[in-house]
Amino acid sequence: MRLSLTYQGIPIWRHSRILSWTAQIVSGILVVAAVAFFLSNVSSAMVQRDIPFGFSFLNREYSTPISEHLLPYEESDTFAYAFLVAATNTLMVSVVGVILATMLGIIVGAVQLSGNWVISKVATVYVEVFRNVPLLVQLIFWYILLLGLPPVREGIILFNAIYLNNNAGLSFPWPEGQQRPGLWLLCVVLAIALGIVTKMLLERREERTGRPSCPWLGAIGVVIAGSFVAWLVWVAIGDAPYVMSVPEPAGRFGHPVGGYTISIELTALLVGLIIYTAAFIAEIVRGGLQSVSRGQGEASRSLGLGTMQTLRFVTFPQALRVIVPPMISQYLNLTKNSSLALAIGYADLTSVAKTMTQTAPAVTIFLIIMGIYLLYSLTYSLIGNLYNRHIQFTGG
Amino acid sequence: MRGQGRRVRELTAALALAVIMLLGAACATTAEPASEESSTQAEAETVTAPAVRSRLETVRERGRLVCASLTDTPGFGYLDEAGNNVGFDIDLCRAVAAAVLGDPDAIEIRVITAAERGPVMQSGEVDLLVYVTTWTTSRDASWGNSVQTMFYDGQGFMVPKSLGVSSAYELAGAAVCVNTGTTSELNMADFFRQNRMEYNPKTFEEGQVAFEAYKSGACEVLTTDRSALTALRSSLENPDEHIILPETISEEPLGPMVPHGDEQWFDIVKTVMGILIYAEAYGINSTNVDEIAASDNVKAKRLLGTEGSFGQEELGLDQIVGQTVIKLVGNYGEIYERNLGPETGIDLPREGSRNALWSNAPCTDCPKGGQIYSQPLR
Repeated sequence: MRLSLTYQGIPIWRHSRILSWTAQIVSGILVVAAVAFFLSNVSSAMVQRDIPFGFSFLNREYSTPISEHLLPYEESDTFAYAFLVAATNTLMVSVVGVILATMLGIIVGAVQLSGNWVISKVATVYVEVFRNVPLLVQLIFWYILLLGLPPVREGIILFNAIYLNNNAGLSFPWPEGQQRPGLWLLCVVLAIALGIVTKMLLERREERTGRPSCPWLGAIGVVIAGSFVAWLVWVAIGDAPYVMSVPEPAGRFGHPVGGYTISIELTALLVGLIIYTAAFIAEIVRGGLQSVSRGQGEASRSLGLGTMQTLRFVTFPQALRVIVPPMISQYLNLTKNSSLALAIGYADLTSVAKTMTQTAPAVTIFLIIMGIYLLYSLTYSLIGNLYNRHIQFTGG
Repeated sequence: MRGQGRRVRELTAALALAVIMLLGAACATTAEPASEESSTQAEAETVTAPAVRSRLETVRERGRLVCASLTDTPGFGYLDEAGNNVGFDIDLCRAVAAAVLGDPDAIEIRVITAAERGPVMQSGEVDLLVYVTTWTTSRDASWGNSVQTMFYDGQGFMVPKSLGVSSAYELAGAAVCVNTGTTSELNMADFFRQNRMEYNPKTFEEGQVAFEAYKSGACEVLTTDRSALTALRSSLENPDEHIILPETISEEPLGPMVPHGDEQWFDIVKTVMGILIYAEAYGINSTNVDEIAASDNVKAKRLLGTEGSFGQEELGLDQIVGQTVIKLVGNYGEIYERNLGPETGIDLPREGSRNALWSNAPCTDCPKGGQIYSQPLR
């Protein structure tokens, strides 16, 4: 008895480390139990209702068309490849959307703070309108607007090469591979590498001698010259690596064939996503810029920097630390929102997957597309977080 | 000494944690089967549970029949000017509601898209699917039970007359609008692939957007079941400027569908469809029900429940379920006329088509040439 009274430590139920460990273990067990419960629920429900599950369909022919595809696709291709084609479509929408939405968002966000009353109010109205209307409604609005283009018979034709109509969309000339285009592209990549080296060498020379050596000009010159020489070699051997393919009306309905075509479905989707997301990004940018203390801008002005220079060299780099984390969420939102494409007939991942569920097990298909979206989102998060860490450390 | 004491305490804590974890794991493994049972029981109580509570009981307790249907196909499932769900398929839902609840208005229409039909059937969250649904083998295997064919259809193509197209085989190079999640989408792919024709498919989740795209000319061709094309054409501003091409590229037997797992419910819906069809064959309609119930027509009296039985009791239906359904909703012919007949503006001719009755009872050997037929009510 006496011995126990001489115990000097904190009682176990009040020991902070034990308490925190216990809390972690308990919450861990709860999470595992919840997941196990839902999984067993799903599997028992699937057994009870005879819902098919399995991955064997992936090697079967999909035999359904995909209207628009970046990768080559034929109806005799497999389900697995169709997934790849559809996932690439979504990735393209996401990347193009993210880049353009960022550019538009930054401009609108900066303009909102500009001294020009009219322009800043226009920007505010833009943000308030597009941020407060559901995206699906906006997408259908843009699509109906584009449906108003003339059909191909009365379509717009410029220089006999650019076609604009509501059937095919916008068709324009586009290079088409003729003789070993991949190898030529490799040469271009090499030329670019050479250009980077040139730029570094010229920069060093500039630093050493103090004489202006135009590193950018030199680099670009090397890239162009390298590509051109390679092109000449190709022509000397046989054919050029690429030939310009010009769209031409074909068949009974006169849809342009050849060149490259951007459908009105894709255009409506991109325009809708970009304008909607840019409104949110503009707010994030505005908030970020306002978070930088006023003194920074004033100090920069007094040092003689102009408005644009102040923004570029002083305010914006500091605002980035506030801007980047919420920006990543917007990129994720844009990627996930692209699944609304099926309302306006663009063949994105979700839309193709929905068609697939007609001839293959739906649960498996949805698991796969969930995995793909997760992969995209995690990649964006990873890149965003790395960039965030970079600016956090180097920011002044 | 102090350092040693801390280490001892840490070790004890680690051991204690290990014990807790083991206990937790043991609990989890023993709890799993139990939770599975309780979860199926919970489901049984709320959603489907053939063994515990039949769908018939669930529907009666709820006091409403939940039907999944559509609002974008005139004649079959759409909204009238007052905003009510009306159409051929809606009337099938009303007939089942009249049979099991005695009130055709005790329905709840859940509006879904074509592609949602599979999941909705698999989850069993609705009692009946009335969605111009084609009866196919894989849908029977993975969605639910197709009850029986209430409308024979086939897929066609509609084009503006101005294009000068007269056959589906001239459609190479066209942009074709179609609804996703439909047999039309699959048949279209088969047709163009089989005939080695290039085309530009545009697939839409909502039928209305597909129709908008067709109206604007963004696709030269709209494809779906011929009946739906006829109905959509009638709703165009200038129906005469559009034609439905002569080729029918598929078989589309349309009918209601019930979720898997409750045979009694499947039988009930089949019986109600039989009542609608035989009532017309026997010449019973909503106006002369009482008259015929009192007549000496044996078959008609069995249908109306005034004599004999066709299994009402075993199915859990009222003895006079036939009278209720016909009086409140009408027979097959009345439903057809009301929704698709000449007065509706859609005007799908029935006489001489596959949707005419097979025969007029009691004369079983004077065929009318149609395919509308059902299991005998006896």
